[in-house]
Amino acid sequence: MEFGTIEREVFVEASPEVVFEVVSSPDHLKEWWPDDARYEATPGSRGEIVFGDRDAGGTVVAFSVVDVVPPRTFSFRWTHPDGEVAAEGNSLLVTFDLTPSGGGTLLKMTETGFREMGWEVAVLEQQYQDHFTGWDFYLPRLTAYVATLKVRP
Amino acid sequence: MSTATAEKVDDELWSAIGDPTRRRMLDLLLVEGGGTATTLSQQLPVTRQAVAKHLGVLDRVGLVRATPAGREKRYRVDDAQLARAVAQLASVGSAWDARLRRIKRIAEAIQRAQQD
Repeated sequence: MEFGTIEREVFVEASPEVVFEVVSSPDHLKEWWPDDARYEATPGSRGEIVFGDRDAGGTVVAFSVVDVVPPRTFSFRWTHPDGEVAAEGNSLLVTFDLTPSGGGTLLKMTETGFREMGWEVAVLEQQYQDHFTGWDFYLPRLTAYVATLKVRP
Repeated sequence: MSTATAEKVDDELWSAIGDPTRRRMLDLLLVEGGGTATTLSQQLPVTRQAVAKHLGVLDRVGLVRATPAGREKRYRVDDAQLARAVAQLASVGSAWDARLRRIKRIAEAIQRAQQD
């Protein structure tokens, strides 16, 4: 199993322009991931995303925009220490690639940097999961995961 | 922790969790907030002795914690260790599955609204 990268692909029945807007704009980002998001969707913009209530024990996480090529690519780095410039080795890199496909969009997501940063970050990722904090969510997936172990050499 | 040590610990962790009976036990312990070899064996198709053995394996990798309860030990799941095991692999991917499902839903709703 590849420990360093997560890759996912999903077909969306919407134009690349619409999908690009949803994956890149802070207003949409907080609809599908953190509770708050503050950044400009321009390359090099440094901002933050917030899990929970900013003023009541919420977690503020650094978020830096890397690439913005509408409607094809949007990428950002996150989890780098506050005040540091995001770079390989101190952050996770998330890249969305959009390809027009049959009247819709094939959306490919990759997240890399786990190998470089270590698995503590994966635990961090798990803590940031909105909506899915209960074991009733994890346990069925645990079973599915363990089933995949059996095919390893 | 060095990478090699981390990998060894993780191997043991995953092998402990890789057994279906032990996973069922973890499930029961989570649902019921804890249990003993006796209470668990009443709900599983294995003997009390077998359950005690499995509990020993889970205890060694830190997935459960024992406290004395009369003549027996009462076990609880160590949430942090289980969270760590699960988090390492399965749920990072699942987190993105859920996020992408939401992205898809939002984008398709916008597209439909634009066509109407």
